[in-house]
Amino acid sequence: MIEIRGLRKRFGAVEAVRDVSFSAADGTIVGLLGPNGAGKTTTLRMLSGLMRPDAGTIRVDNSDVVADPIGVQTHMGLLPDSRGLYPRLTAVEHIEYFGRLHGIDGPTLTARTKALVTRLDLTEVSDRQVSGFSQGERTKVALARALVHQPRNVILDEPTNGLDVMSTRAMRALIRELRREGCCVLFSSHIMQEVSALCDRIVVIAQGRVTADGTPDELRKITGRDSLEDAFVSLSGLEAEEDS
Amino acid sequence: MSILRLVWIVFMKELRDGLRDRRSILSVLVVAAVMPTLFGGMFTVMAGHSKDAVEMKLPVGGVENAPAFVEWLSQQPGIEVVAAPADPEQAVRDRKEDVVIIIEKDFAKSMARAVPAPVKLVSDSTREGARRKVSRARNLINAYSSQMAALRLIARGVAPTVALPVRVEEVEVSSAQERLAMQLNILTLLLVIAAVTGGMQIAIDSTAGERERGSLEPLLLSPVPRVALAAGKWLAASVFGCASVVFSMLLTVNVLRRVPWQDMGIRFRVSDADLMSLLALMLPLVFFLSAVTTFASTFARSFKEAQGYMGMLILLPLFPGVISMLYPLSNRRYLTPVPIFGQYALAADVLGGKPPGVMFYMLAGVSVVACALVLVALTSRLLKREAIIFGR
Repeated sequence: MIEIRGLRKRFGAVEAVRDVSFSAADGTIVGLLGPNGAGKTTTLRMLSGLMRPDAGTIRVDNSDVVADPIGVQTHMGLLPDSRGLYPRLTAVEHIEYFGRLHGIDGPTLTARTKALVTRLDLTEVSDRQVSGFSQGERTKVALARALVHQPRNVILDEPTNGLDVMSTRAMRALIRELRREGCCVLFSSHIMQEVSALCDRIVVIAQGRVTADGTPDELRKITGRDSLEDAFVSLSGLEAEEDS
Repeated sequence: MSILRLVWIVFMKELRDGLRDRRSILSVLVVAAVMPTLFGGMFTVMAGHSKDAVEMKLPVGGVENAPAFVEWLSQQPGIEVVAAPADPEQAVRDRKEDVVIIIEKDFAKSMARAVPAPVKLVSDSTREGARRKVSRARNLINAYSSQMAALRLIARGVAPTVALPVRVEEVEVSSAQERLAMQLNILTLLLVIAAVTGGMQIAIDSTAGERERGSLEPLLLSPVPRVALAAGKWLAASVFGCASVVFSMLLTVNVLRRVPWQDMGIRFRVSDADLMSLLALMLPLVFFLSAVTTFASTFARSFKEAQGYMGMLILLPLFPGVISMLYPLSNRRYLTPVPIFGQYALAADVLGGKPPGVMFYMLAGVSVVACALVLVALTSRLLKREAIIFGR
């Protein structure tokens, strides 16, 4: 359960996030949709507790992120914008390192690592150092280390970026599975098809503001457009740019 | 979960990661090996020069002009008079000879008339290695000259002491061991270099490298207090630094024990107890130096930038080392609690054969580790800055 109210963040003269409020319930998939530079990543960074908002509140499972970031991080799995791995560690070692940092150890850790490796189809490469991994394999490792502590709130920043068709499908399947397990899944994307294929609710962000919030059907209704893509373009204020 | 357990987890990960970085381990070993070998070679050459000056072949030209003088020369201990080359100046220029004495034609005539008899001393003052031989030759000529002067005065019924208004008596207060310690300061310097360079790679990799790869943000998303991360990384760098110090010490001592010190009139005596004392000084220092490198490289966005900082940082511990060569830091116990300076001062005493008491080791150790902990705390604060977490 994620609740964001009146979020603001300014970097010098640039107001990256002006007014963002939305919530995401357990057992649903919420898509944060917006063009590049709309403020999606900044919003997620504040949600992760690593960036302090100038104003507004963020509550995850009724804990305040600013007041208790470590408490929130215990129940949150985040695939951030930067997916850096340690080139000399293997896939399994990555998952185990983060598992241990979350206080998981022994047979539990071994079992969870194995389960994630199977689930993300990393079995063949699990004991290789990641320096030679493909973009897709890297993303999977980054995702696995974010999920090793079985978080109830899963936040994914552009999860399918750089993935091929099969990996994208696997990622979507995983996101649906997480919903079935009762997780609250929030993911950001600038790709229309992805959001429409997965989300129960869509939050559209443009220029640091939430411009729409609803089910895909509701968004089509609001804008009076048949296609979700047209609805998105209209909501993001991109129409004027397109015309000119 | 206890914070120490988290420190341990981070420490073990960085250690494993660092041990797999073959290239940087190799570079540490090479740095640790090259310097002692270089200095060992230098000392051996120096010893060779002083040996040469003790037992030297002295080329003398114009032997027929002063048979008595040449006879006197060849009677001096360690001197063997040989024929001078045809062109002495060219021979010295070409480094075929270090020094040549040429006795001029008028020598005997001038001697007989009691006017200064001309002798040429051919040398090249730019040649460091020949300096001892040249001064030995000059001293021989001067000795012969004063001997002749004394004889002349006696012949004229004057006491030779009349012509010696001042008598210099040299009193050397440093023990031979202390003079050796001056040379051995180089050992301390090498150990400090090993302490800095040993943990440097892993310090950079685990901070600036973490930022450059983009793995810092995911790491900070785990529910771990920043201080545990900073401490784990610092300890991993320190362990590498300690290994490098021990390796460098074993290598340096083995090299120095092979230098023919006796040729310089020095007895090299560094006991195993002295080595343990040096380790007791240096190992705590490693923890301080790796805290400095970890802190500094956390500022850097990339490996390259961090290496730039390290280039400057390495001068920091070298500076007191160089000072100690010019102004010996021995017998300066009040420097004990000052990081780096204290270690140089106490190490000079250990090598000078005046080992300090246990209290001094403890004071020095506690002081550097306390400074290190402050730096670790500062590093953990850096890890909270948004500019550091996201600034790539």
